[in-house]
Amino acid sequence: MALNPMDIYKLLPKTNCKKCGEATCMSFAFKLLNRERRLEECIPLYEDKKYERQRKKLEEMLKPLEEATETGLIVDESLCTGCGNCVVVCPVHVEKDPKGAAVGKGITIDDPILRVEDGAVKVINMQACRRYGKNRVLCVVCRENCPTDAIRFLEG
Amino acid sequence: MKMSFVCPGCSCLCDDIEIVDGKILHACRRGEEIFGKYKENRAKPMVKGKEVDVDSAIEEATEALKDSENIAIYGMDTTTVEAQQHGIELAEKLNAYIDDNSSFCLGEFVEAILRKELPTTTLEDVRDRAYVMVYWGANPFHSLSRHMSRYSYYPRGAKRPRGYEEDRFLVVVDVRRSETSKLAKKNAMFIQVSDDDELVDSFFKVVDGKAAKYAKEAGIILNGMKKSDLNVIFGGLGLKYGLKDLGKFVEMVKKLNEVAPVYFIPAGFHGNMRGFNETLFEKVGYVNKYSFRDGKSGGEFAFTELLKNEKIDTALIVGTDPVYSLPFEVSSKLGKIKTIVVDPRMSFTARIADVVIPSAVSGVEAGGTMVRSDGVRVKLEPLEEREVNDVYILNKIKEGL
Repeated sequence: MALNPMDIYKLLPKTNCKKCGEATCMSFAFKLLNRERRLEECIPLYEDKKYERQRKKLEEMLKPLEEATETGLIVDESLCTGCGNCVVVCPVHVEKDPKGAAVGKGITIDDPILRVEDGAVKVINMQACRRYGKNRVLCVVCRENCPTDAIRFLEG
Repeated sequence: MKMSFVCPGCSCLCDDIEIVDGKILHACRRGEEIFGKYKENRAKPMVKGKEVDVDSAIEEATEALKDSENIAIYGMDTTTVEAQQHGIELAEKLNAYIDDNSSFCLGEFVEAILRKELPTTTLEDVRDRAYVMVYWGANPFHSLSRHMSRYSYYPRGAKRPRGYEEDRFLVVVDVRRSETSKLAKKNAMFIQVSDDDELVDSFFKVVDGKAAKYAKEAGIILNGMKKSDLNVIFGGLGLKYGLKDLGKFVEMVKKLNEVAPVYFIPAGFHGNMRGFNETLFEKVGYVNKYSFRDGKSGGEFAFTELLKNEKIDTALIVGTDPVYSLPFEVSSKLGKIKTIVVDPRMSFTARIADVVIPSAVSGVEAGGTMVRSDGVRVKLEPLEEREVNDVYILNKIKEGL
């Protein structure tokens, strides 16, 4: 299921107390989703008893954030059939490996983003992904061309 | 230097499989099972349920074949062309029936291609030049996992450098919303048909400029085809069982070729099924269900029909598992006849067989040649050599007769 900053905001205290250092709870919700902030930084949520139920819900909700890689990519290997569509369509692979992945063969470079190993796709080098770092592009071609939805992104 | 292996799992015959530090790279799930688990569930040489050594199992099989009058040789789709040649020679020597899975798979299409009724091309050409590609009644997600990423829609070719983003047009024709049809998004089309003949009919009419049920879709496809010097239709089992008359489909491809170059490649079968079809075609002029006694091919000589009508008293089954794959009413008849199984694995058929001869996994333990779905011959190098393979066994039986 896709995570949405509005859903996170609804469960925060919504007091705009600024104890976390953000101006509003809404901006804190956005930064939580981008993993620039952690839930523990919201002090009232942990100190005030009346927020306990909301806190537990939030912790449950944000669990996939920990499983995901730095770019928000989540691979469910049990769904993957190793068709390699994601490896071949990735624009970074096409640029770096014109004689391998770009023409459909198994990827030949040593540090690809994704590689099919033992029948399922594995994340090898997330730093090369276009979604990584400050100047990121929200590219989703690997997810779009996955026939089994084995690849997901946090934002959906 | 890195060693590349050919995966014998399906008719894609991917030749880029690497094994590095015990990891199997680039193979799909089926390929991984073949390379990673080929040592599991191996067959043991057996005669009537008792374990014996290989040579006496082969001897027992030879004796059984000598004593029988009506013999059928069945299978051989997962073995090499070399073994298939021995199998066909053995059938000739025994005056036997010979058949493989293609009689209920895509044998008809391969026959039409070999008789030059359907124009065909290679998958390399498809990758480099094809614009419109139609998956008709085929779901490569299940049958040929890497087909789309390796040969057709996704890779960038010499004359199609922008790949699937701009230089391809994908058409998926199916009766249901298959996994492959979900990939038909941009530059693509999914046609959900209830009757394949209606779509064939629509193509006929649209070429002539008449109205038809799928006129809009057929028109878009036809306009796309006119832009390119190579377009391809991949026909799967859905197409075979959807068509009432193959002749009409062949006519349709001919008619389409009047306005744009359209080729046909069958999609979705065992590693070397086309190899069997080609080997038998070279020898006798038919692709499957052949009777050496009658010197002709016919529906009544299909292995399933022979079993149903109780026409045979001994079956030599090589590398296939009819108990698993055929309907119970057909496969249960195997219990009434003598069954000899040549298989690397302890398949369900091997468990009920009178004689079991364990063999090597082609492509992993035995080298040879296999034929890809588009007719290109691929040489297989084994991971490790095993002396008792299909060629050895079939040759030994042949010499023993």
